[in-house]
Amino acid sequence: MKVTLHIWRQKNAKAKGRFETYHLDDVIEDMSFLEMLDVLNERLILEGKEPVAFEHDCREGICGACSLTINGIPHGHEPATTTCQLHMRKFKDGDEIWIEPFRARAFPIIKDLVVDRSAFDRIIQAGGFISVNAGQAPEANSIIVPKDDAETAMDAAQCIGCGACVAACPNASAMLFVAAKVAHFAYLPQGQPERKRRVLAMVEQMQKEGFGNCTNFYECEAACPKQISVSFIALMNRDYLKATCSGEKHLLQTQQV
Amino acid sequence: MGIFSYLRSTILSKVVMAVTGAILVLYLIIHTAGNLLIYFGRDTLNSYSAFLHSLGPILWIFRVVLIVSVVLHIITSIKLKFENWNAKPTGYALKHYLKARFSSRTMIWTGIMIFAFVLYHLLHFTFRVTNPQHYSAEFFQMHNAVSTVILERFDVYKMVVLGFKNPLISLVYIVGVIIVGFHLDHAIQSMFQTLGFNEKHYFPTLQNLSTILSIIIVICLISIPISIMSGLVGGEI
Ligand code: HEM
Ligand code: FES
Repeated sequence: MKVTLHIWRQKNAKAKGRFETYHLDDVIEDMSFLEMLDVLNERLILEGKEPVAFEHDCREGICGACSLTINGIPHGHEPATTTCQLHMRKFKDGDEIWIEPFRARAFPIIKDLVVDRSAFDRIIQAGGFISVNAGQAPEANSIIVPKDDAETAMDAAQCIGCGACVAACPNASAMLFVAAKVAHFAYLPQGQPERKRRVLAMVEQMQKEGFGNCTNFYECEAACPKQISVSFIALMNRDYLKATCSGEKHLLQTQQV
Repeated sequence: MGIFSYLRSTILSKVVMAVTGAILVLYLIIHTAGNLLIYFGRDTLNSYSAFLHSLGPILWIFRVVLIVSVVLHIITSIKLKFENWNAKPTGYALKHYLKARFSSRTMIWTGIMIFAFVLYHLLHFTFRVTNPQHYSAEFFQMHNAVSTVILERFDVYKMVVLGFKNPLISLVYIVGVIIVGFHLDHAIQSMFQTLGFNEKHYFPTLQNLSTILSIIIVICLISIPISIMSGLVGGEI
């Protein structure tokens, strides 16, 4: 099949970017979207041109490294699918495809389609963990977790931290990501001791990184390749209010060495 | 700082939006119900209005709560909006919305238009300065066990009827109320989400109820200028 690609090219963080148009005539329907870009890059390299920089790692939809806003939707129009799992058969012969980086002030562009998502790492460092002494794994049944809670915690824990929520949000808000992380601990007994401090610390770090405010557009949920529900944001709002009202101070950052 | 320190927190700002918004929505529901008394005739509406004015200090408690809500709602929304524009300095060349709706994407603009509309509304019916020729008193009889007395009260009914007989004024109200309807369509369900009430088994219903309630409020309110212009109400004036 034939496709026309309009790809955002930008030399580095400082440079002014622009779209460049490429025509591919030899796309096979079974290629993934990233394989299609690989084909383009092979050609660019042969022509002595700079290949398009984009991120990827597992290519099986579990690591969260791939990104790209494809025709105005992070990870493309196929619901619940990462870019690496999106296949060219989902496009039509002759399609024009616009490929842009994830856009947010907190995700500065490094090069072409690659953005710096380390803000997410710093949010995790602020509170996305439980403090336990490492060692032998405890007996699995020594802490009983109700089935429904375990399921809900797993729904939240599906988040692969790709940043599609931020990219989709007109306000570049990271609430869905942070809420998923807060919620997956909030539903488990192991998450309880640090529950209040966690939500305060993670929300504060989220704000420091310059993400926008949630205005309940629900674009994040629609774009999320793991279909994380915005009901987790409601849970986080509730937890945050409770923690604030109880006068909790978050000590998580100072506890770390 | 002081009471405005909540502005430093994104979630507390949202909570203030939701709580002040909820107060305004509740007020709007009561206000709409009160306005519908016009269908029960001149005496009902005028005595309702006289009753409200007789509340004196209690009326002022409500007014202060409303004014504080409006001020906090507006200050907070403006702060949130500027931060949000700043957080997304570059948009997409091609953007495809999946769930964001017209009403959710236009909150700041419908909000500003509502503010202008509310100002006009207050000048028109509360401070009564825009149409002096429509404002007058009414004499009515009051009976008690011993005698009948003639009393004077403000003629709200006549003011409303004469106001809405002017098509331009009616148009402003109809458009204004429809804009309020769009704002509410997003706002009502949004405040539940913000305050932490969203479970998958009821939220879609709640979103539909948000739209339905907005439509009901709009229909109730615009029915008044429409009935008056078409002569169904107030023909006697
Ligand atoms: C009839 C009067 C009004 C009512 C009943 C009302 C109600 C509400 C409610 C309940 C919310 C949702 C809060 C949340 O959960 O986020 C909201 C949001 C908002 N309102 Fe109002 N409001 C009114 C007037 C105004 C005015 C005069 C402005 C002027 C600036 C305004 C601007 C906004 C903005 C910008 C938002 C945030 C929207 C978003 O989520 O993006 N509103 N309103
Ligand atoms: S490359 Fe790992 S999720 Fe797409």
